[in-house]
Amino acid sequence: MTPLLEIRSLDFFYDRQETPVFSALNLQVNQGELVRIKGVSGSGKSTLLRLICRLQTYQNGSILFKGTPVESIVPAELRRSLIYVAQIPSMIDASVKENLLFPFSFSINGHKDKPTDKKLLEMLEAFYLQDIGLEHQARNLSVGQQQRIALMRALLLDPEILLLDEPTSALDTKSASMIFASVDYLNEEQDKTILMVTHSDYHSKNASLVSYVLENKKLGKE
Amino acid sequence: MNPVVEISIWQLLLGLIFIILAQGASFVYHLGLNRDIAIGTIRTFAQLFLMGYALTLIFQLNSVWFTLGIFVIMAVSASLIVRGRVKEKQISYMVPTFLTMFTSYFVTAIFVSGLIVGVDPWWEPRYFLPIGGMVIGNSMSALAIALERLFKDMRQQKNLIETQLCLGANYREASSEMFKNAVTAGMIPSINAMMGVGLVFIPGMMSGQILAGADPLQAIRYQIVIMLMLVGSTATTSIIIMLIVRKRCFGKGEELLLSTSGSK
Repeated sequence: MTPLLEIRSLDFFYDRQETPVFSALNLQVNQGELVRIKGVSGSGKSTLLRLICRLQTYQNGSILFKGTPVESIVPAELRRSLIYVAQIPSMIDASVKENLLFPFSFSINGHKDKPTDKKLLEMLEAFYLQDIGLEHQARNLSVGQQQRIALMRALLLDPEILLLDEPTSALDTKSASMIFASVDYLNEEQDKTILMVTHSDYHSKNASLVSYVLENKKLGKE
Repeated sequence: MNPVVEISIWQLLLGLIFIILAQGASFVYHLGLNRDIAIGTIRTFAQLFLMGYALTLIFQLNSVWFTLGIFVIMAVSASLIVRGRVKEKQISYMVPTFLTMFTSYFVTAIFVSGLIVGVDPWWEPRYFLPIGGMVIGNSMSALAIALERLFKDMRQQKNLIETQLCLGANYREASSEMFKNAVTAGMIPSINAMMGVGLVFIPGMMSGQILAGADPLQAIRYQIVIMLMLVGSTATTSIIIMLIVRKRCFGKGEELLLSTSGSK
């Protein structure tokens, strides 16, 4: 079966730098898997996710989404199918509700039905955010709360893969465990395929979890 | 009507009293502007004298090629001034900017001198060059403001642009806010000028015509045409250039190419 996402012999280096960040890196992500990539700061974990959704460009190798090179897919279509949730959540200067719904104004999402307030409130509850209302100013929330709003915003578009970049980096232990619980829930209960990079410890009994370590420019099984 | 009162070279030098005052103020208050004021004064004298002699020559020659040559020099100088003010290193924007500036100014100047004013031939230097100069000068400032704003806002809001791209926005949707703000920032001075004209100030061209002895009622007609032309040409030129430059800020994968550190 064709993997959902496949990376073959990927090389990447920044302009004018001779040492590559990755060299001949390979990775496969199958439908329904929760893939976790661990690595120290600066090992290129975020860069890998950014290359997958074409926020940056690599030099050699290939990245395939459902067997098609990512370069052959319309960028907006690709990014809507594998949504990257950045390490630092970015909110527009508006309410929680507007932050959750603004992606529906983009032409590519135009055919999707906007979720009702009832559904949004149920989601807030599932993400332990029942105490904040839909009219709350999103930029006034804590980083951990914004992180969960960003996750919700991505999920509302029903992506095929979620690319999570250090979702717990700026959080205390309690908030971090809430995020990890949400990640497990999405994978186990909602059958979401997730590729997550993190440097924090993450203990899970999730049977679909596949763990890799990024070191020396390559990925190895943990 | 009285003939034009001529300014002798001594009367002209008397005008330097204003510069001495400005220099004195800069010296007393440590504004650090003495050098710039001095260079500015010398350039004002040199450039305008040069322009005066060049125009006298061009009016005498009455040649279409000389007229157009001067027009090209004016447009090139304007684009170099824009580059000097914007100082963007990462995105190359000069070639499309210059080509659009040149085409748009050329079309506007021909339209105004040939069709609205009805000069025959359309390139009659006495009309074509001052009109072209006003279009170029006005739009140049608007462009510099708009470009600077676009690059600055897109850098500052890189995270927001990328978040929108990641949620399915195309590059136009992800940068629409910055695009709109940049074009508006460039247009505000021209729109303010339309609001204040005749109430707060008498525009340069109209003052010139009145000083030269023209009927004020004729002078205002010229001025109205010029004001409309300036707003129209500034809006179209800056929108076309901003569309091209914004596209250049994104790569083949519609990824934002501007980095937050590499501006200057």
